[in-house]
Amino acid sequence: MKRFGTFNIFSLIVGFSFLYIPIILLILFSFNESRLVTVWGGFSTKWYAELMQNQGIKDAAWVTIKVAFVSSTMATILGTIAGLVMTRFGNFKGRTLFSGMIYAPMVMPEVIIGLSTLLMFVALAIDRGIFTVTLAHITFSMCYVAVVVQSRMSSYDDSLTEAALDLGCTPFRTFMLITLPIILPAVVSGWLLSFTLSLDDLVIASFTSGPGSTTLPMKIYSMVRLGVTPEINAVSTILVGVVTLGVVTASLIGRRQKQQILKTQHT
Amino acid sequence: MSENIQFSPWLDSSQKPYIQIQNVTKKFGEFTAIDNLTLDIYKNEFFSLLGPSGCGKTTLLRMLAGFEKITQGKILLDGEDISEIPPHLRPINMMFQSYALFPHMTVEKNIAFGLKQDNLPTNEINQRVEEMLELVELTDFANRKPNQLSGGQSQRVALARSLAKRPKLLLLDEPLGALDKRLREQTQFELMDIQEKLEVTFVIVTHDQEEAMTVSSRIGVMDSGNLVQVATPAEIYEAPINKDVADFIGDVNILKGIYKGQNEVGTQLLSEDSNSIVFATQEVGASIEDEMWFAIRPEKLEISKTIPSHNHNILKGKIEDIAYGGSFSTYHVKLDNGRILKAIRANRERTKEHHLTWNDEVYLQWAPHSAVVLLS
Repeated sequence: MKRFGTFNIFSLIVGFSFLYIPIILLILFSFNESRLVTVWGGFSTKWYAELMQNQGIKDAAWVTIKVAFVSSTMATILGTIAGLVMTRFGNFKGRTLFSGMIYAPMVMPEVIIGLSTLLMFVALAIDRGIFTVTLAHITFSMCYVAVVVQSRMSSYDDSLTEAALDLGCTPFRTFMLITLPIILPAVVSGWLLSFTLSLDDLVIASFTSGPGSTTLPMKIYSMVRLGVTPEINAVSTILVGVVTLGVVTASLIGRRQKQQILKTQHT
Repeated sequence: MSENIQFSPWLDSSQKPYIQIQNVTKKFGEFTAIDNLTLDIYKNEFFSLLGPSGCGKTTLLRMLAGFEKITQGKILLDGEDISEIPPHLRPINMMFQSYALFPHMTVEKNIAFGLKQDNLPTNEINQRVEEMLELVELTDFANRKPNQLSGGQSQRVALARSLAKRPKLLLLDEPLGALDKRLREQTQFELMDIQEKLEVTFVIVTHDQEEAMTVSSRIGVMDSGNLVQVATPAEIYEAPINKDVADFIGDVNILKGIYKGQNEVGTQLLSEDSNSIVFATQEVGASIEDEMWFAIRPEKLEISKTIPSHNHNILKGKIEDIAYGGSFSTYHVKLDNGRILKAIRANRERTKEHHLTWNDEVYLQWAPHSAVVLLS
């Protein structure tokens, strides 16, 4: 079999260029000496230094981190519970509806989620701010955690729980001492996933944020409207770095866990 | 072993049953898994629930452990109704078919888990874990994780963990199912030794009839959610209650007969296969011309080439197949009407003098007390 035929190599290059050239350019030009975004003027890290002076960007970054941290933590708790319920209770009445409703936010257009949450906050007369952005992020990232946890639970041996109960452990302690430690990698990767989702969300945040709760993607977007500066390249590069780190860690954890499951099943 | 022969509390009316399962029914929706089952188990018994898959034996075990709610009836342990007690408060432990060892804990921590839930002092926990490790001969493996153990070792850790709390009753769900044949036989004897040493009542679920015969004080044969027969292994084997039990436990030849009344020898049946009269010592209550069956175990059929001197309990046939099993040989004998019977003969001599071979005309005979008459 010719694994690296000319055609294969060609399509590989085209595909990956298509995906990554814009991001690579963005990263390259963040190290540009020149103020012009399209002309290379030599290597420099001065835009990163300048970034540190920009109070607006720093504020937005801080808001983003707070929102991402709180929303992913809450989403992980709720999503884990949802994932557990879906596997543990087997085929209860209305299960299909229930699981469908959990997955719906994954395919729902973000604009709709953003708009509907906005309308709800308006109807309930809740002032928009960090709190509302966080709530909205919990809603849409929860389903990702539920999916990850559910897929882990499908290979979880229920007799482990029963064995713990049988040995005199209360149901709550059983969850804390047995179930949670075993599914922990899935929970952690669910957390990382929702953290990165929250970090790079623009649409939902635009709908649900208010004054003083501008997130980093929103800040970048509004700065671009006044013209692209290398500063934006610099902050975008950092964002790309953080998100990549999160996603890679999550998938590494997932892979390690899969190997562990295989290992226990083979013995 | 002599103790074991005398151990038969179920015959002693002054003995109080330790576990009383009273009219228990379990339904899963429309499906009845256990149908109005009543059973008494005595202290220090090694009781086996035996039956084909889907007969309800595991459901019954899980109800004893508390994992399945009883639909109707109740279960008493030592006189106390435990039907409503959740599993973590029952003085009963279970050994799971999958062993269910906690993968993130060492062997030692697995065994200590149950003791820690009781908040025992640390030194007592350590001492008991030590004892248990010695009991199952795994002292050197205390710090291993479950995925570093072999199947046999995992099985012993699971046993140690379930015994560590000194339960009043130990439930074992197919405990040896995952082991290979040789290890399984060895472990059966270890289980019996441990059970005698610790004086714990064991209830074991198995589909392996040889295993049940080897380890049990009594066997409860189950089918479609009910007990068909409860008796000692020897009784089940030698005096099965019906064709199904006879067929499920060991090898058997079941032949149809027509009841022709009693005489001084016992029951007279007209065998459909030989069209001659067959005698059985066992007495049955039936009326003339009733249809019934008689079962003969292969080792109780005597096979020979010479014509027997008497004229009852004889079947004539031809050797169709021989399975040489070393210590014994199994002969498949085809009767004139085409039915095939199995006869087992011990190979006592090394010589080939006696040898029976394919297509030999042979006579099968048996003593009147060797056959069991079955009404259903």
